[in-house]
Amino acid sequence: MSDMITFPDVVNWAVPFFVAAILAELLWIVIKGRGGRYETRDALTSLLMGAGNVASGIVLGFVAYGFFMVLWAITPLDLGTSAWVIALCFVLDDLRYYWVHRFGHRIRWVWASHVNHHSSQHYNLTTALRQTWTGTFTFMMVMRAPLILLGFHPGMVLFVGGLNLIYQFWIHTEAITRLPRWFEAVMNTPSHHRVHHGRNPRYLDCNYAGVFIVWDKLFGTFVPELDSEKVDYGLVHNLGTFNPLRVAFHEWVGIFRDVTQPGLTWRERLNYCVMPPGWSHDGSKGTSFDIKARYISDHPESAGSPGLRPNMKRK
Amino acid sequence: MPLSVLLPLVVCGIIGIAVILHLLGLSRPARLEGSARASAVWLREFPDAPPTRVILSHDGQAALIETEAGSGVVWAMGADTTARYLGGARIRRTAKGLRIDLPDFTAPHIRLRLDPDEAAQWPSHMKDSA
Repeated sequence: MSDMITFPDVVNWAVPFFVAAILAELLWIVIKGRGGRYETRDALTSLLMGAGNVASGIVLGFVAYGFFMVLWAITPLDLGTSAWVIALCFVLDDLRYYWVHRFGHRIRWVWASHVNHHSSQHYNLTTALRQTWTGTFTFMMVMRAPLILLGFHPGMVLFVGGLNLIYQFWIHTEAITRLPRWFEAVMNTPSHHRVHHGRNPRYLDCNYAGVFIVWDKLFGTFVPELDSEKVDYGLVHNLGTFNPLRVAFHEWVGIFRDVTQPGLTWRERLNYCVMPPGWSHDGSKGTSFDIKARYISDHPESAGSPGLRPNMKRK
Repeated sequence: MPLSVLLPLVVCGIIGIAVILHLLGLSRPARLEGSARASAVWLREFPDAPPTRVILSHDGQAALIETEAGSGVVWAMGADTTARYLGGARIRRTAKGLRIDLPDFTAPHIRLRLDPDEAAQWPSHMKDSA
């Protein structure tokens, strides 16, 4: 068994690259006068969220790692550490990422952790670092369990996950418009991921890919960036604070307040945790489906265009 | 990477980038250039509640919005904007204008820079919702 194998913590080693790339993007924007926007407090909040993410990994990382090592002790399988195995692990882990990310937008308990990544109204390389502090509490580490039980070493699984995260850093930019057609067809790109960060009705809940955009095409969640509709970044209801603590915990507080309302059934309390963001027991709020349906109702000509299925009817 | 290297790198990186952005003049707040812009900003957050009246602050960094569903404000959030209804708000005069405390974890305190006349008049428009 390859118990003693260690893999580098690539995300931490990439920190100098992150800083250099942010400065390069900023320089490009300032010199060219296009390719994105920066604002001091927004960027500072994003960077502090990134630092907090690293800190939470140091403090809470043992929970996931301990879980993975238990699985590794249980499984009789060991695929070793050849280059082909690492490559296969990278691809399968990207599939795992797609589903975790999709759950992150469709299950409020997981969204509570992921929402902060979408809380900036900007889209630049600092936005990439606006990462969660509370990922451990989503229990999404279970999604890595199949990989480990199949015989991929936990260290390798975390290593390829780190590479996945580093890949996703550079796509958080407006400085790159479109890449060659073959690349856009297979890989996640700045264009595809800009759409993912959009609050426009048609751009809600799509393009969940980490590295390979083919997962979205395969599972029917791909929406292309339209030249006719500029992406409007941020949340459906944008935050009124730059305080990192509020950014990190606001949706958890929202869940707590909703769940503890008086007069709800236990099923309704549970649904406030597991239904899509915007769900409410009395229909007083709206999910992304409701927002899309309302948009189609107001703009019937848009029905059937990307991101707006014709069968979305307003309730 | 050892913590003794990572920590100073992260701290210096964050401070350095923030200082550069500020020196480049990228800390300027958004300005609402006219009532139409303020309406658009409100509708961006609340598309189902068209404004019936818009009162823009003297510096264009905030606007008081009246709708059939109640009053609200739009205000600059850095280079961008956001908006909230004023239900449950506590409104206080400050040296620079008004402070609005909302029962909203995502927008607990709104500090509006208003001139003395605005600071005197706006609360009367807000009180119906508060």
